[in-house]
Amino acid sequence: MSLFRLPRSLRRIHRDVDDEIRFHIDSRIGALVAGGMSPDDARRTAEREYGDVAASRAELTEVDHRILARERWLEWMDSSWQHITYAMRGLRARPAFAIAVVITLALGIGANAAIFSVVDRLLFRLPPLLREPALVNRLYAAFPSPEHDGQNFFVENIPWLRYQDIVNATRSFTRTAGYSDQQLALRTGDDVREVHVGAVSASFFDFFDAPPALGRYFNAAEDMPPSGALVVVLSYGTWQTRYAGRSDALGATLQIGPATYTVVGVAPEQFVGVWTDEPPVAFIPVAAFLGAADDRRRGKTWFTSYDLDWATMLVERKRGVSIAAANADLTAALRRSWKEQGGPPDLQPHGLAESILTERGPNQRSVSRVAALVGGMAFIVLMITCANVASLLLARALRRRREIAVRLALGVSRARLLAQLLTESVLLAVLGGIAGLVVAHWGSTVLGRMLLPAGADTRVLTDTRTLGFVGVPVLMTGILTGLAPAWLAVHVDVVRHLKNSGHGDTLRTSRARMALLVVQGALSVILLVGAGLFVRSLNNVKALPLGYDADRVLTVALNMRDVNLDSGAAVALRERLLATAMRVPGVEHAALHLTLPFVNTALGNIQADSLVRRGLPNFRINAVTPDYFATMGTRILRGRGISTADASGAPAAVVVSKRMANLLWPGRDALGQCVREGGEKTCRLVVGIAEDIKGNILDDDTGLHYYYAAAQFKPQRNGVVLRMRGDAASGVEVVRRTIQREMPGAASVSVTPFANAIEQERESWRLGATMFSIFGALALVLAAIGLYSTLAYSVTQRSHEMGVRIALGAQATDVIWLVVRQGLVFGGAGVLLGGVAASIAANRFASLLFSESPRDPVVYASVGGVLLTIAAVASAIPARRAARVDPNVSLRSE
Amino acid sequence: MAATSNTLLQGTLDGLILKTLTWGPRHGYGIARWLRTTSDDTLTIEDRALYLSLHRLEERGWVAAEWGLSDNNRKAKFYRLTPEGKRELKAERERLTEYARAILRVFASTIAEPSA
Repeated sequence: MSLFRLPRSLRRIHRDVDDEIRFHIDSRIGALVAGGMSPDDARRTAEREYGDVAASRAELTEVDHRILARERWLEWMDSSWQHITYAMRGLRARPAFAIAVVITLALGIGANAAIFSVVDRLLFRLPPLLREPALVNRLYAAFPSPEHDGQNFFVENIPWLRYQDIVNATRSFTRTAGYSDQQLALRTGDDVREVHVGAVSASFFDFFDAPPALGRYFNAAEDMPPSGALVVVLSYGTWQTRYAGRSDALGATLQIGPATYTVVGVAPEQFVGVWTDEPPVAFIPVAAFLGAADDRRRGKTWFTSYDLDWATMLVERKRGVSIAAANADLTAALRRSWKEQGGPPDLQPHGLAESILTERGPNQRSVSRVAALVGGMAFIVLMITCANVASLLLARALRRRREIAVRLALGVSRARLLAQLLTESVLLAVLGGIAGLVVAHWGSTVLGRMLLPAGADTRVLTDTRTLGFVGVPVLMTGILTGLAPAWLAVHVDVVRHLKNSGHGDTLRTSRARMALLVVQGALSVILLVGAGLFVRSLNNVKALPLGYDADRVLTVALNMRDVNLDSGAAVALRERLLATAMRVPGVEHAALHLTLPFVNTALGNIQADSLVRRGLPNFRINAVTPDYFATMGTRILRGRGISTADASGAPAAVVVSKRMANLLWPGRDALGQCVREGGEKTCRLVVGIAEDIKGNILDDDTGLHYYYAAAQFKPQRNGVVLRMRGDAASGVEVVRRTIQREMPGAASVSVTPFANAIEQERESWRLGATMFSIFGALALVLAAIGLYSTLAYSVTQRSHEMGVRIALGAQATDVIWLVVRQGLVFGGAGVLLGGVAASIAANRFASLLFSESPRDPVVYASVGGVLLTIAAVASAIPARRAARVDPNVSLRSE
Repeated sequence: MAATSNTLLQGTLDGLILKTLTWGPRHGYGIARWLRTTSDDTLTIEDRALYLSLHRLEERGWVAAEWGLSDNNRKAKFYRLTPEGKRELKAERERLTEYARAILRVFASTIAEPSA
């Protein structure tokens, strides 16, 4: 009895099962016939004894299929494991190559993932659990604004009456709601903390498919004017942390702001309202929030006046209603409401249904546009990365051609070889991806701090969208960038490569590499040009004269919380605070102010005989104490500033800015002219002209500012500004502690360096400068590595040729120049291509720059110079190696 | 008393097959014949069930199958015991012994029901 095994396959299974059954039945028939039965009886008996043959065939086949599948699976696992261990050994033998590839991938993928996770949160990630995310919009009212050159300015918050008007007059919406976010004091016992609270209308929760985890949401009756009901819905997180998830949280009371609310429900776990970056701690009815507000007058009139803001309006369009149709509907409703209110007829508003995401609406910060640009940039860098990795893998595959030829000759199938090479590149891609996640984790934290609100979640490692975004390029990189070189290497002419030592063939493959190199160079140029343009913009911004000296100035903001003072007590408090501030050691000047540039400005209502009113007023008001101009560093050009002579009872004085003086009294002396505020009868006389300042927007030169004496103006509000003798930041704590002692009750002060507010304005250019520089440098390094490895390979291939040249009398410098020239040609081509592409791209983004032409020749020339220098350096190293070739050795190795 | 295939548990059939194979590799027909002869025709096992058992045993790795030549030089599928199969056989034997002992204890007991 001999035993031999045949390989299994699907077709064989059916045949084998048939054979086995037939063998059994035939054997049984044989035994029965031998025992004396007739063949026919024997057959019938044997088949009866066996049982249902067809059913047996089916069940046996099924089991055998399973056996085969398992065998194949084990084989695949085994050979994959072999491939992997072989690949790892190969990489360990060439650590420089492996490290170069992994680092390249890590930087490219990591940077991309970091930026994606931040940009996604800013621009793409809609709030979770919305029933109809595609149909939900936030409403903006656009008013034409003369101070912005006829462009619109966009209002998000609308009064309650306006909301009612719109709801009654429009037909495009399934549901509407209002929401606003507030920072309120949450008090538990003696502990008071400022937390983020969502003040929302009752219909807000209908927008979401999010049944409450406990209890219920508040209903329309609890959100009615004048003050709703004092009920609160907790967020899931708050319920877990403060009440440990107990059901007796229902009915508990919380003091939020000035009022005490009762818990009626808990939102489900994923629910964040519309606040994806900073989930609120709790949700209260808007009516309750407004009704309980500190300002008593506001608490009583928010629902009867068009002057008081209520909330931002959220709408869900009916199916089939386009945005354009909704806008038309909204505009008509808005205009009717505006007319009803008696608003000026030359200011007709438009209604706009925009994205819920603030950064995709008309009030998008320029930082977000830069962030989107940065996203595109990271993608470019990812492409460079892949190009580089492909190039490195190609070089390696070509170097191994001889080895591959030998293996093919020994009988390894091409498929298996291909699998082996692919495993290697996938392994590299996976290692690169893991390293990339580390880079992404760090990068997204840094970027998030720059771009997202404080407290935003920037974790990458648990973010499925980002992980998917990283996973795809990892796999694609591994497969695609490994596929081409592997294919190339495997379709090698076995005979030719066994015969000679692998010269020639450089032309065909190096053309692909040459193209890759030029593209890499061009992309580096684009990024570096971007860096140069942003850096120059940033310098321009920093050099801008502000009209005051922000450096050593501290601002003190008062947070009255629930302390209510009548006007007399408020005035006394401010005077006391000013006196205290003056006494703090290190303070040179201190003053009170009503408004402060960039921090909070206000429009005044000034009247002068010579003024013809056109559109909305653009006059920015301030009311200050005498030391203000010295504190801010604003110069008085003519006349005098506010002085102690301008006390209450004395003739009212005003200081105007230069541009305002020229506008109101062109050609005449502004000093001594008369102005009135609002509907007043008394004249305020101009006593001085101050230099122009930047009030609200850095690149705006149309601000008109004027200053009353604080003592001669009502109301007396806001805080203190002071100038330190030394560094502002170091004085923050001392000032805060000293002034806090004078504050009544639970009121508090916060002290910040004024320079921070200015810094924030410069953020977008700073972001652009930083990111482009980082990515530009990265791209340059990658391109340099690519150039170096290409030329090094080329030199090795051409060592024979170099040997001949040297033997024929070429000097070392000639050989070096030969190689360096090649490098410079690549660099030059990259500069040309990149320069053209950069100038086209920069034109499109010219609005993001500051006083900087997108075609600034200095930037382009320096970038070109840098690239050519790097190209020369990168080629110098292999060039030196080429020059050291010993003709004896190279000529003989043929 | 004839124990028909209906009363034989699947597990027991597996155990019988494994035991049969301790005497060397056999094909399915050989196993069936041996079982019939050794049990004096007391055990009649449906052939279909036998083959299903054999294939499942192969799936679990307790037997291995190879094609070979029978006594009459016909192609037949032979089964042999694997080391894992030997271990399983030993375990099954212990289980059956325990089971049988427990039953015997009940039947052989002379102690009446303990008084409450």
